[in-house]
Amino acid sequence: MSDEQDLMIERVRTTLRESPDAATDARAVARVLATVWASPRPSFWRRCLDAWRMPAVSGLGAAAVAGLALLAGFVTRGSVDERAPQAPMTASGAATGEHAVPSGTPQAVQYAAAAGEGAMVPTQFVLDEPAAKSVALVGDFNDWKPEATPLTRLETGVWTVTTPLPPGRHVYAFMIDGTLVMADPRAPKSGDADYGREGSVVMVFAR
Amino acid sequence: MNRYRVHSLVALGLVLASASVTPAFAQGTAVLPISDAKARLAVEREIASAAAKGLPVQPLVAKAMEGVTKQATGERIRVAVASQAKRLEQARTLLAPSPSVAELTSGADALAVGVPAPMLKQIRAAWPAPQSVVMPLDVMTELVARGVPAKHALEQITALMQRGATPSQIASLGASVQSDVAAGLAPDAALEVRARGVMSLLPSPAAAAALAPSGRRP
Repeated sequence: MSDEQDLMIERVRTTLRESPDAATDARAVARVLATVWASPRPSFWRRCLDAWRMPAVSGLGAAAVAGLALLAGFVTRGSVDERAPQAPMTASGAATGEHAVPSGTPQAVQYAAAAGEGAMVPTQFVLDEPAAKSVALVGDFNDWKPEATPLTRLETGVWTVTTPLPPGRHVYAFMIDGTLVMADPRAPKSGDADYGREGSVVMVFAR
Repeated sequence: MNRYRVHSLVALGLVLASASVTPAFAQGTAVLPISDAKARLAVEREIASAAAKGLPVQPLVAKAMEGVTKQATGERIRVAVASQAKRLEQARTLLAPSPSVAELTSGADALAVGVPAPMLKQIRAAWPAPQSVVMPLDVMTELVARGVPAKHALEQITALMQRGATPSQIASLGASVQSDVAAGLAPDAALEVRARGVMSLLPSPAAAAALAPSGRRP
């Protein structure tokens, strides 16, 4: 039975309730039917609302909404995972690892993963300099400002900081005690044609 | 509208236009801690001149700050800023039509390490906007900086891009070659081996063409 027929029967019922004698009088039935047919067609939104109120339709609607919610949740979950805090890269060492895309990964999955490519990647920097009083990280990502990214000294005398960096190639150095600029001894060196003071390089990318 | 009013409006427009450039320049350079006032003024002039050409101020301020942190002389900072401005301008032409600040900076860095200018154009052509060329440019820069011949680096990067490699996969290539060279492998050989490794993770060219999103070359 179609939704429109259901609606018509419902309207007939309503009319009959208003005129109890119509059920036994053929002419009255004809009048009721004529009234029903002649009554103005409900608006589109009214029909939608009526249809939604029907048990069968509302069940389907609820299922559809649930399905859409599940789909949206699934899609969002993928993108949120890409933006979730990641295991920090280490400026010297871990940054040189293999990319963890399994062999035979479908292209679509790789494109989905690439949606998070622009996300900042937590990157750890480490310097073993127990004698230093202060160590700061300076580089193209913080406009070479020593006050922007100070390192923390651990009990072992090792200095470290983990900072979010945009994917790409970054040149950096450590500033010791506010004056001495030195390259990271554990990382590849970068030339410096402009100032003649070599720094270090880290390649940052989402894994 | 009489001629006087038209002239007044033009003058007002010019004033507003110059006012819109000046604060951006001033914001970037007001904090330049160059003790030599004469040198600071010269650096500020270089930055203002670049800003007037529509170049981004931030990479130039960063270049000046790098010099300050590395305790370079004022004159050396001025020369470095002028060189950076020249590279940014060149990169803007090569990466047309509308490169982002990040793309311009990456392009300028590539030129600074010796990547031939026409290759920037080739990368842009292989990776048309709105795809960002930051990562391909950065990896190209790194490979050339490690001693890989620019021609070989470009071939491998564009081959990977055409097969649908993600920026992360391209970056992993740069990082792997970096570590291989540090471990003593010849740069060319390292690139050859690592490019094969990334290539093996990618689908066949036909599958890449079928699945590539619109606007991206297979």
